[in-house]
Amino acid sequence: MSLNKFIVLSRSVRRGRNLFAARVAQTGEYLYQFQSQRFIRSSSRSLAYAKDLFLGKVNKKEVFPYPEISNEELEELNQFVQPVEKFFNESVDSAKIDREANIPPETLDGLKELGLFGIQIPEEYGGLGLSNTMYARLGEITSLDGSIAVTLAAHQAIGLKGILIAGTDAQKAKYLPKLATGEHIAAFCLTEPGSGSDAASIQLRATLTEDGKHYLLNGTKFWISNGGWADIMTVFARTEVVDKDGQKKDKITAFIVERAFGGVTSGKPEDKLGIRGSNTTEITFEDTKVPIENVIGEVGDGFKVAMNILNNGRFSMGGAGAGVVKKLIELSAEYAGTRKQFNRRLSEFGMIQDKFATMALNVYVMESMAYLTAGMMDRPGLPDCSLEAAMVKVFSSEGTWICVSEALQVLGGLGFTKNYPYERYLRDCRILQIFEGTNEILRMYVALTGMQHAGKILTGKIKEMKKGNLGVVFEILGKKIKDTVQTADFGLTGKDGVVHPSLTESAKMFEQNAACFGSTVEGLLYRYGKTIVDEQLLLKKVADVLINLYAMTAVLSRSSRSISIGLRNHDHEVLLTNTFCKDAHFKNNYMLSQLQRYSPENDDANIKKIAQDVLAKRAYICSHPLERTF
Amino acid sequence: MSASHHLLRLQCVRCVSHFLGTPVRQVILPGRAHLQTPGSQHIYVQLLRPFHRSAVCSTDRQNRTDIEKLVEDETHHKDKTLVTHDDIFDRAAGDSKTKVEFNRVVDVFKSKDIRRRGHVEFIYAALKKMPEFGVECDVTVYNKLLDVFPKEVFVPQNFIQRMFNHYPRQQECGVQVLEQMENYGVMPNIETKVLLVQIFGEKSHPIRKFQRIMYWFPKFKHTNPYPVPHVLPSDPVDLAQFSLTRIAADLDAKITIYQYPSTDITETGEEITRPHIVGIQSPDQRSLLAKHNPCKPVFVEGPYPLWLRQKCVHYYLLRADPIPPEEKVEEEIDPEMICPEQSLFFPQRVELDLNVDMGDDHSFNVDEVEEGAVYAMCMAGQGDQATLSQWISGLQETCPILGQIPTVFRLESGPRELQTSTDAHQRPEQEAETDQIIEDDEEPRHSRGVKQ
Repeated sequence: MSLNKFIVLSRSVRRGRNLFAARVAQTGEYLYQFQSQRFIRSSSRSLAYAKDLFLGKVNKKEVFPYPEISNEELEELNQFVQPVEKFFNESVDSAKIDREANIPPETLDGLKELGLFGIQIPEEYGGLGLSNTMYARLGEITSLDGSIAVTLAAHQAIGLKGILIAGTDAQKAKYLPKLATGEHIAAFCLTEPGSGSDAASIQLRATLTEDGKHYLLNGTKFWISNGGWADIMTVFARTEVVDKDGQKKDKITAFIVERAFGGVTSGKPEDKLGIRGSNTTEITFEDTKVPIENVIGEVGDGFKVAMNILNNGRFSMGGAGAGVVKKLIELSAEYAGTRKQFNRRLSEFGMIQDKFATMALNVYVMESMAYLTAGMMDRPGLPDCSLEAAMVKVFSSEGTWICVSEALQVLGGLGFTKNYPYERYLRDCRILQIFEGTNEILRMYVALTGMQHAGKILTGKIKEMKKGNLGVVFEILGKKIKDTVQTADFGLTGKDGVVHPSLTESAKMFEQNAACFGSTVEGLLYRYGKTIVDEQLLLKKVADVLINLYAMTAVLSRSSRSISIGLRNHDHEVLLTNTFCKDAHFKNNYMLSQLQRYSPENDDANIKKIAQDVLAKRAYICSHPLERTF
Repeated sequence: MSASHHLLRLQCVRCVSHFLGTPVRQVILPGRAHLQTPGSQHIYVQLLRPFHRSAVCSTDRQNRTDIEKLVEDETHHKDKTLVTHDDIFDRAAGDSKTKVEFNRVVDVFKSKDIRRRGHVEFIYAALKKMPEFGVECDVTVYNKLLDVFPKEVFVPQNFIQRMFNHYPRQQECGVQVLEQMENYGVMPNIETKVLLVQIFGEKSHPIRKFQRIMYWFPKFKHTNPYPVPHVLPSDPVDLAQFSLTRIAADLDAKITIYQYPSTDITETGEEITRPHIVGIQSPDQRSLLAKHNPCKPVFVEGPYPLWLRQKCVHYYLLRADPIPPEEKVEEEIDPEMICPEQSLFFPQRVELDLNVDMGDDHSFNVDEVEEGAVYAMCMAGQGDQATLSQWISGLQETCPILGQIPTVFRLESGPRELQTSTDAHQRPEQEAETDQIIEDDEEPRHSRGVKQ
């Protein structure tokens, strides 16, 4: 908060200086300068890190140095963290919540008292008014119980975010105070019974009443977290909108719906594999009368609102995953240190050590990515970090799954029992790969958005080349030759480098991958053009390379900072960074070579064929090994 | 089991024969094999004629009555007529041509003459008669037929015999038996192999033929991705269900039985038979039909033939003319929801002015001919309009729009395939109705659109 204020202040000071200078100049010039200043301000955040990687550019200013929070903020945060940690360690019985598939009211009251229902709601509306970074930090603790984490996230990361981002002052004043205290619980109603990720699936309809003051909502929403408890819902519905040409079109609009409006019924809570304490139900709206003041944003802009809410909410999953895994490392390390087998401690076995290394590496990367992204989002302006947030979600959801599974494996059979929390964490964290956009969709999103970005810029060049414009061809050829002769250098290391010298090798690996990634993307665009949408297997690899690149950036940036300011155990961080970067580098190399034309490593055609054969018969089609023909 | 034992034993015999001279072998070895059997007199005979041992007492008394006589007659007339064995099957079997009768004839032939005179002719005749007796697909009968050959006589004994075609007529006959098995798709079994080895030896032509069959048959056994069972269901409703799922080739397609076959007797004593009506429709077809423009007619067409092994069944289609390009309505999805800038739904396109590079375009140039949509299929016991309109009204229950669409019946008079007389009774009775539009008062439910 105070950082924001400071930056806004410095801006105004600067503008004031400009105004002052302008007074000396002519009036026309003054106007021009004023405008240009405004222009610069609105475009100050046009730099995007992940998107520009597709062009083979590394905007190091975006990610170096690693974002920090001020001392005051840190103090403020620690004040929150301690009681929350205490509460989760002492008052939350996760096993019971899981067993009874319900969060007891006294636990919910405790959460409300701690203010956890209004972490990001500004203080003027009664919330804690914390930044994204601080939200992520609290998320690390709340994630110790999956059910509570999901309940809180459904409430504030998506449920009331619509009002927070796009709501009017009146809407904020009306709803936020009660939501901040947890008196009202919010829910986000987007998914419908038709297939979850299909564009045509929003069928819930809002029709304007004759007096033009209300909308009538009719339809059903599925898998609504907090569906049974929510008093305030952000509901997305189809409305008829007259567009520029005078044609009527169906557009999505977001509404704030109170349960008190009537006609809202919740179904039975779903019986789930994990996060059993969270309340997931179906919600049916029957002639629910919503006043037109409750439209969020403009009528017909609902889809943008939904995107903004979701894109901004995902980054916190990195912190949540890291919180869980850090806890499990402690638990399983204790077991490995005490349990003896063949007169040796479990912790002395290489294969067990391997598991702990994997967990530590993953946590380190998850944390680095999550807080880098949160820091980017906390910067002033309207940051576009949706790609980064999606990558954090994909990486951390999969990393968490692997780590929890490894931690369980350390305990062997014991981990499989309900006497230990491992199986619960395993079940709980499985949902991370599914909700808020499945990892498959997010990979497509990451890859295609980047491709689109790169395509827009490269189209002209590629077209010229296809036409056979020799000048362009030579230019590109020259660049290619230069690239092969010279090693890629984005200035991360060396004299004006931003990476600490002890990480030079890793930084070089990153640079090499980034350069190769840029040219590979260009090659893909050249080969497939807009039909790249159908090459999902290629896009998956593109997304994976990008996720690795972003992860490398995050750890490089974080550990450089740690060394520079001398954080405790920064040598361990260097070790983790170098290990991860090396691993990611070789994985990237492999995937990038798969993306080349006629690559022998690429087996996509076979994979597709196998799947088609199986799916055509909808069964495994091989004969049984005991089958005979004569 | 016993067959493989035989094989093993034969192989042992072979090994020993390397040490002993060939002429000796014939005498000694079979004798060895029979050392355990009681009755030394018997052994003595066997020693002389070793290859006859399998023929001993293979038939019982009752069977050897009239047929035996017949066979005897045959042999007596043998010198006078060229065609000898053909009639014996006909005469022996009389009216009932079954496997039992066939086997009996073979048995009688075997027991009649210890020297098996004329066995080649007999086997040829038997091969010819097999389809008549309905045993052409039975491997045991083939084995029985092979058993008619005397054993070990035709096995080459030295390299000269092996080099040249030893007993060519017999070998040819053996090959012919296998050939017929091949033609009818009968897989030889281990017994066949044992017999062939006993009769012709390891490297003879019939054995080669056997090996080739055994190489190719298993390979080809499952080449048909849409296998038809050997025995088709006899119930017409089951058969219709099977055939319709086979044509539909859509795992989602759902079979509906609109009417089971039944026979009612009215008060006046008239017999009313209700034919079966079985239809199939997939969800895709249903949604296509729901989008059909009610001003355009749909057609009931047929019958179209479908062959299932020996059987021909007929089906009818409900289809429409292709939609002319100017009437096509393309469904627009909100571009906002499918563009790559959103992460909720599936990004389905990128806005780029680039296409696939020429060198990377591996697609073929395919001329696509547009056809009208097929909305449903059915099979019915009768192909007349009344029956088929019952099907259409049954379809209306799931596709109410069919009530507003004019339905035109374009029925051919009969199946266009040639049929054998045995199939004739399965042919749906057709009425010659072509392009006839049902009148409104007859079928008020589904022809409202064609009021004239």
